Parts: sequence; C-alpha cells; structure tokens
Amino acid sequence: MEENAYIASIAAGIFFLVAGVRLLRLHRRTGERPELLLGLYFAFSGLYYLGYNIPNLFQIDTWPYQLDLLVEWTFVLGVFPYLFFIRSVFRPDDAWGGWIVGACSVFLLAGTVLTTDGGSVDYSFGNPWFIVQWLGYTAPSFWLGWEALLYRQNATKRARIGLCPPIVANRYLLIALFGGFQVLACLGDLSFANDINGDQAISLFTDAILGGTEIASVAVLWLAFFPPLFYTNWITRRAVILPTPMDG
Amino acid sequence: MATTLFDIAAEKLEESSEMDQLEARGTLRLAVKEAGLDVQNLTIPQLQAVFEKLMPKELEARGVSDAAATCKAVMKDIASAASAADLSASNSPDEIFKRLGGS
Repeated sequence: MEENAYIASIAAGIFFLVAGVRLLRLHRRTGERPELLLGLYFAFSGLYYLGYNIPNLFQIDTWPYQLDLLVEWTFVLGVFPYLFFIRSVFRPDDAWGGWIVGACSVFLLAGTVLTTDGGSVDYSFGNPWFIVQWLGYTAPSFWLGWEALLYRQNATKRARIGLCPPIVANRYLLIALFGGFQVLACLGDLSFANDINGDQAISLFTDAILGGTEIASVAVLWLAFFPPLFYTNWITRRAVILPTPMDG
Repeated sequence: MATTLFDIAAEKLEESSEMDQLEARGTLRLAVKEAGLDVQNLTIPQLQAVFEKLMPKELEARGVSDAAATCKAVMKDIASAASAADLSASNSPDEIFKRLGGS
C-alpha cells in the first residue's frame, strides 16, 4: 500500500472509532438496539483499521502471527453486529433477511478460520477460502447500500407530505453511499489478493481507489452522524413540501 | 385476516364517497404508494397526512364531489374508529435514522 493510502486508512480508523463511541453512548441513553449494533460495528472497524496499519506506520517488518490473527478477528467480529443492524432495521419481518445474515455469518466464520489456518493469513486467489471470507464481509455493505437506497426513495416521498424530516431522507442516501464506498473498498481487496500472486500492475490504482473510498466514507458518515448546522439547513431549505389542498 | 388501518380507511372512504369498494381501495392504495408508505404498516398520523395532502387531488381526479369534505369526514371517522389498530412507529427506520444523526 502506498503511504497516502495508509494515512487515509488511519484517519478512517480514528473516525470510525469516534463514530462507534458516539453511537454506543447514544445506546446508553436510549437503550435501543440499532445504535448498539452499529456502534459495535464502527468501534470494531476503527480498531481493525488502526491495528492493520500499525506495522506500516511504525515501519515494523516482522509482525507476529498472533497479532495478525487478533486484528483479523477484530474486523470479523465487527461484521456480525453490522449484519444484525441491517436485518433489524430494514428487514425485521422478512425470513430471507435472516437467511442472508446466516449465509454471511457462515461465510465469514468458515472463510476466516480457514484463511488464517496454518500459521499465516493468506489473502490470495490461491486460497479459495479468502473468496468465501470476502463474500461474507462484502455482501453486508452491498445489502446496506441497496436497502438504504430503496428507503431513500420512499423517504423522499414521505418528506414531501411532511411525514419524514428531509435530513432523515438525506441520511438514507448518505448511508447508501457509505455502503457503496465500502463495496468499492472491498473490491480493492481483490486487487491486493491479485498482487500477492505477483501481478503488481493495478496496485497503484487500487491504492488511489482505497484512499478515495476511505476519505469519502468518512465524509458521508460525518454528514450522517455529525451533521453540521449549515448542512441540515441546506437540506431542509431544498426540500419540497406539498401544501395542504384543504387549507387553500 | 386482521383488519388494518388501510382496510378501515378504505371502508370509510367507500361510505363517504360515491366510490365502490374496488375504486376506494385502489385510489387509497395509489395515494399511499405516492406517499412512500407501506399499506400494511400505516399509522394514524401517516393516514391523516395522506388524506390531507394527497387524497383531495386523487378524489377530484376521479370526479368525487366535494373531495375536501369527503377527506375531512374520513379522517374524523378514522381517528375515532382505528385507535386499536394503530401501530407504534417508535422503532421504524425513520425514527432510528433520526436518532443516529442526533436529530
């Protein structure tokens, strides 16, 4: 990975950690489950991003396998609350939502156990279990992006008749974008897996994409979870709310 | 099959207008869809917004005389008849996304 990509990755890690802590504190106040699940996801993701980049940040050449394993499982453990968040918010009553959670969980567990088996973490196309693990952590982001986009469509309609605050309708879009950027970042993992096999041709391009998706993810999450007043006002002013015909 | 708020509202609409059952349900279903709502999980405030903002136009387009008065009559009936069928929206995705952003 190129130096700039590390900086973006560390910045994303710190931001995810802050967002995670904020959501966990919100959970302490409200006692509601969605903020707990999403808070755990971001907290684990932040720890993973920081752990993953420590060897590069401090120029450590030899990194014990056990620490690699710990970092890897930190990431994987964060994906489970992420999956449960998507299911419980968007598809609480649909059986197929449960099947997606189940399938992703099996892929994640089997893929991670068998990718990290044998004394090293093998991210390459030579290891078919890497692809299984990849599916397990990429599918949730795709699912989140898709569901948030669908909800965004209806939320915009609800906003027109005053049933949904415009900033909430916009938040669905921001979360959909976050899901999309995470899928792009996951596609970058496939490129790195390809690089390990010897072909370095697209690594620089991947670094740029990865850095870009991390910065973009932070930007959309900032607007979603810490919306500045000017942004809230701008979205609210732009919203079209229908007048009540009976009043006229 | 359980009676939903949609069923109650469609029935009241049929009673208050010259529409038949199919026409009343179809018209209301279209308005609910246009409002970005789910027919199965409507709440009273949502139905009221639909009858205030969208239904007058829909009824006028279908030749219902005095659409505004019809909507008002239906809304009044819904409020009194449907309190038992109302669903809480406290953990709807909208409410969750509202909380997540601190708004």
